[in-house]
Amino acid sequence: MSKGNRYKLFLVAFAVIFVILITSGGGYVVWNAADPERTCNNCHEISPSYNTWTASAHRDIKCVNCHGTAFSNGWHSLKEKTNMVFTHYSEDIIHEDIGLDENQLLETMERCTNCHQTEYASWKSSGHSASYSDIFLDEVHNSTEQLNFDCLRCHGMFYEGTINDLVTPLSIKGPWSLTLEEKADQATIPCMACHKIHSKGEPSVKPDYSAPNDIFYSRLNENKTVGLYSRHENMHFPLDQLPTPVMVHQGDTIKTPADPVYRLCVQCHAPSVWHLAGSHDDHTPVGVHEGISCTACHERHSNFQRNSCVKCHPAISNCKLDVKTMNTTYSNPSSPHDIHSVACTDCHEDMLVRE
Amino acid sequence: MKNKHVNAIVIGAGAGGGVVAKELAVSGLSVVLFERGDWVTYDAHNDDELMSQRTHPFENPFGPDNKRHRRVFVGQNGNERIVLPFEYPFNNNAACVGSGTVSYGAMAWRFMEKDFLMKTSYGHVEGSTLEDWPITYQDLEPYYEKAEWEIGVSGDHTGNPFQSVRNMPYPMPPFAYNRDGQILYDAAKRIGLHPFPIPMLRNSVRYNGRPACYRMRTCVGFACPVNAKCGTHNTVIPIALQSGNCELRTNCQVAEVMINEKGLATGIKYFDENDNGHIQTADIVIISCAAVETARLLLNSKSRLFPEGAGNNNDWVGRNLQGHAYTGASGIFEDEIYDDVGPGACWAVGDFNHDNEGIVGGGVLCNSFFTPPYAFTRLRPPGAKQWGLEHKEFQRKNYKRISSVRGPFQEIPNFDARVTVDPEVKDHWGIPVARLSGQRHEYDRIGCQFMSDRAEEILREAGAITTWQAVGGRGLSGDQHQSGTARMGNDPKTSVTDKYGRVHDIDNLFVADGSLHVTNGGFNPVLTIMALGFYIGEYIAKNWNGGSFTSK
Amino acid sequence: MEVKRREFIRQLCFACGSISLIPACTSEISTWRFLTADEAKLIEAITEQIIPADQDAGATDARVVNFFDRQLIGYYTRHQETYRKGLQNIESSSLKIFHKNFVNLDWDQQTEFLETMETGELPEAEWEGNEQRSFFRMLLDHSMQAFYGSPRHGGNCGYVSYKMLKIDYPHVIGQNRYPSENGNTNLKAS
Repeated sequence: MSKGNRYKLFLVAFAVIFVILITSGGGYVVWNAADPERTCNNCHEISPSYNTWTASAHRDIKCVNCHGTAFSNGWHSLKEKTNMVFTHYSEDIIHEDIGLDENQLLETMERCTNCHQTEYASWKSSGHSASYSDIFLDEVHNSTEQLNFDCLRCHGMFYEGTINDLVTPLSIKGPWSLTLEEKADQATIPCMACHKIHSKGEPSVKPDYSAPNDIFYSRLNENKTVGLYSRHENMHFPLDQLPTPVMVHQGDTIKTPADPVYRLCVQCHAPSVWHLAGSHDDHTPVGVHEGISCTACHERHSNFQRNSCVKCHPAISNCKLDVKTMNTTYSNPSSPHDIHSVACTDCHEDMLVRE
Repeated sequence: MKNKHVNAIVIGAGAGGGVVAKELAVSGLSVVLFERGDWVTYDAHNDDELMSQRTHPFENPFGPDNKRHRRVFVGQNGNERIVLPFEYPFNNNAACVGSGTVSYGAMAWRFMEKDFLMKTSYGHVEGSTLEDWPITYQDLEPYYEKAEWEIGVSGDHTGNPFQSVRNMPYPMPPFAYNRDGQILYDAAKRIGLHPFPIPMLRNSVRYNGRPACYRMRTCVGFACPVNAKCGTHNTVIPIALQSGNCELRTNCQVAEVMINEKGLATGIKYFDENDNGHIQTADIVIISCAAVETARLLLNSKSRLFPEGAGNNNDWVGRNLQGHAYTGASGIFEDEIYDDVGPGACWAVGDFNHDNEGIVGGGVLCNSFFTPPYAFTRLRPPGAKQWGLEHKEFQRKNYKRISSVRGPFQEIPNFDARVTVDPEVKDHWGIPVARLSGQRHEYDRIGCQFMSDRAEEILREAGAITTWQAVGGRGLSGDQHQSGTARMGNDPKTSVTDKYGRVHDIDNLFVADGSLHVTNGGFNPVLTIMALGFYIGEYIAKNWNGGSFTSK
Repeated sequence: MEVKRREFIRQLCFACGSISLIPACTSEISTWRFLTADEAKLIEAITEQIIPADQDAGATDARVVNFFDRQLIGYYTRHQETYRKGLQNIESSSLKIFHKNFVNLDWDQQTEFLETMETGELPEAEWEGNEQRSFFRMLLDHSMQAFYGSPRHGGNCGYVSYKMLKIDYPHVIGQNRYPSENGNTNLKAS
């Protein structure tokens, strides 16, 4: 072969590779930019997710924006996506229940912050951002109460194994460690614990300035994404599907908060089986605060509640006392008067007589 | 690859085997504990009534599986058919580490003195094999105590005035009554009975490093979400494993015990999870597979000295299969009596266990466990519509208004209720399967009727406006209370083992499970099985002389 | 053939959705896993008779037929033949007695038909021996499993039966770390 021919061949090969690169690169770009109806939805497994997405508040955000592309996470995601395609074509199984695994879910959650920075920052400052090591390696807890299957109901609900696979040893004698080190800093209560991203909803729109007075009325007063993720059912229960427990205080059935979000909170901040207010992990308010929603005092994502008094009270209450300095757990953690159960009679013995 | 010779093989990691394995391992014997199932977790099956140990129309959530296991069942009319594990005539017990103790209701009954002396107390019953145990309540009392403290029982030791003498209280306080328990308690008091809280193998307080029960309704039939239910899987078996002397081999099906020319057990043949055949040799072999499978294994272990199966030269292996004739009544109340406080059963009366005029034996009566919605669709008075609007209305109206009082009537054992091995049908590994035949003694019907009458009286007193009975029938019963097939006794001609559970004429082969029960008490038998485990385990460990095991 | 199968599965999943990803019961069913469209309609009519809608949801609302379809390629694969044949027999019997398909009968005629079948008194030409009674028992039992069992198996959509019976699901029950030193759960204030 002459030098010229070799050069020609090299040139042709180079051109071919160049064309392939350009087309595949271009194809890749086009694919990711295209309407998911024509791309992701080609796979029957994706259809259900696609359908819910098209009806959701997030319908203007493309799949790739939350779920990433085949290259968005380097070799890892390329392998993952190739594997999906391979399974799709090689297995003759009807997949009715595909979903994200925990790592994929947490990766997706990172992308929530692209838009919801404020909520993310608030969540980060709340108890709900606790990591696996915060929850499962707590010495005081672990040496008092043995970790068990049910811990994962409210912490680490997306974890795919059982408590047996997560922490060792499973006993009240430590020292404890996580079986998988990478879990240590992962969130145990990610956004999806309380939000179903594909829930039915309307995207936010610019107000209609021709009727500015209607801006208030055009806003929905309910966020449909809120609900509880149940690891046992592998699904979200929207708020209206969650039970409202009948709660009891001193033998009487009490008024529980009318705000449906209470049903969500009480799922994990739950009472004993007798449904006594204040028992076990429950904080259902009784006494002067009976019937008040959790969110009246606790801000939604941060749980910040140091402003709770001033939200409703003038600094001085009806009985001429400064509510912020009254002897309650608001000002003093060791006060016998829990803010969730404080009653008039706690301070005013004479009210007993009047009654 | 050849397995290393060990001191002891225990077959079956349930209530009996788990305890024996622990007793031997902590005494320094090297033990291999075989289990045909696997470890199970709460997460695998929870809150799913169709996948529970009590209701399993699809398959057994706690094993065994439908694919590899089967039995032959011969009905009362003589028709025989192959039954799969999920079918009720299979008479299933769970196949997993801990067996039934993972998903049971966990009632922790001691048998009473008279339960060990049925023949002395009541004389001969025509057509039965009613007999005294070779051991007494007093012999077993220290081991009951051990079971109560090592596994963990909550209860009121002064609650039942009819119980036999005990030396120690329960380690944990009793559970409070739920609403229907309280109503029945008051009613029973009014008519002069002696109600008390059921002793339970559940933690009412933190115990043994595990949490207290939080009383979820979906308890019986499921593994415990908080690990508060005490079984062998979370008590003795972990201790055995931690001792370093015990190896647990799960997913292993044992085919036979090898008996040599000297009439000694040399080890077992088994299949591992990949169906590969292996041999494990040992100085001692202990069988704890529950009444049906223990009998099957003995019968399948044929040798020159025991051509009809190990210990079966007198044709007693597999005989006297008993369970419990469950009997009682249900009643509908005007007001709601259900308060969602699990597991439901919490109240009992022991007034009818013995000394009932004209009745042989008797049984304890308890309020029932939580009845999930699908199971409730069949809880109806006789003649009620089974479907349609009326059925649905009943369901809606009465779901929280029905209480049932039921109990296990002590069966009168008989020779023809039995386990044999089927001459033709084999399981996945080619091992002949168990064949169940015979029926309950005709006397049981009388005893059941008596107990159902008493249950109905209590419900009426409690205020039930409509009541009806469900009286135990004559169908063969084995399932979770199965017992009797390797009866212990002093006379080798009329029993299978001696009073230490040692198979007659095979000095190093033991049985340690409900198969040993001569009679099955008027109680759930699990605590007795555990107590026998401690008793036999201690006997073996004490008489262990470091090599072969032949002491008498 | 391959294309057909793929297309079938695609449509099927599109139609039936998935428990975890969409509220499975809201989508219209157009294709089935095992049942034919006519069989599905027939089962729907029968199960609605067994558990009719009143102030609370009935079998149709609870998507009981989805349970049948799903289990007939799942745990109840063993009953495929029984169903195929039994459903056909019901149609033949219905045509013979009323000259109409079962689904086109009046409500009361359907009830009467099923009551007759329950007692084994339908004309015997279509049914051998005990067949009609045992098939009725099976339909009845599976309907109850579908309506009252966990939604995990395809029926009881939206937990409608649990709601009717007023049992909380998911459970509202907390862990007992805090109440007392030893975790006693019996501390029930009167």
